[in-house]
Amino acid sequence: MNEKIKEKVSELLKEDKIKGFLGLREENGHIMPHLFCDPNELEFLSIGDWKKVGGARYPLNQILIQLAMAYPEDRFAILVRGCDERGLRELFKWNQLKEEKIVLIGIGCPEELARACECEKPFPDSLIEGPQGEKGDSQRVARIEAMDLDQRLQYWKTEFDRCIKCFGCRNVCPMCFCKECSLEEDRFVKTGEIPPANPTFHLSRAIHMVGRCIDCGLCEEACPAEIPLRTLYKKITGIIAEEFGYKTGYNLEEKSPFNVIEVK
Amino acid sequence: MAKKRLTVVQRLLEFSGIHPERLRMKWVSSAEAAEFVHEITDFAEEIKKLGPNPLKVKEAA
Repeated sequence: MNEKIKEKVSELLKEDKIKGFLGLREENGHIMPHLFCDPNELEFLSIGDWKKVGGARYPLNQILIQLAMAYPEDRFAILVRGCDERGLRELFKWNQLKEEKIVLIGIGCPEELARACECEKPFPDSLIEGPQGEKGDSQRVARIEAMDLDQRLQYWKTEFDRCIKCFGCRNVCPMCFCKECSLEEDRFVKTGEIPPANPTFHLSRAIHMVGRCIDCGLCEEACPAEIPLRTLYKKITGIIAEEFGYKTGYNLEEKSPFNVIEVK
Repeated sequence: MAKKRLTVVQRLLEFSGIHPERLRMKWVSSAEAAEFVHEITDFAEEIKKLGPNPLKVKEAA
């Protein structure tokens, strides 16, 4: 399994083109992130299918940022799905990673995962292995939009009220790289209050995801209260696509409308 | 920039069940007193029409 990936990575390592490959490793029945520096280790490579397709996913891009900071001169390869690749493009634009120091090793997501994610593009352009699947139909946002304002408010209030403010959504997010976070500001979100002031807490985070969220869904997977965060951020991504024609993570040359000041 | 932000916030509010007209942005110069009064009066009337903040109402209940 994953022969093409192993072959490609092994070649890069042997030719000394990269210092290491950031991927996933299966060991003792667990799947965890791992930096492969020796081609012989690649027999333990996993693409994260644990219990189900894509059942074990990690914010590898976030780990890559840490790696790049510690070893700024070295080049690394990284395992990417469609969403991870979109994320990397944004991170390059936000100057969090240097494009020339990163090699993308792409895997395509099988239909089952693409559909569960309602993914817009379930494969990266840097595809090396796996399917080049169809986009998953999106129902989540439409289901909310079918409600009237009162029902929507009630719906979100019920969902948000379960929040225990664990910051799991923020901590797992590969696009949340700010050193200071306004969600920790006592002025906006009072310390020691659970659930946090809502909808302020979640809507603030949603607004901060404008031009950043690449719809990987890790926030929702991480949420112990099962708040449908992905629906909220899918909406945000949809709004800037509709209003400003900006598709987050698709074009390396184009910056988010909130990062461009137009002089008229 | 502020206008772009306003658009996004309004649409997000609407998605979350809060009437987008509760948020409004206008440019009024400090020399345009009449304009300022007009805008505020108009906005206050609009808000009265929309009724009390649904978030506050739910809390009291």
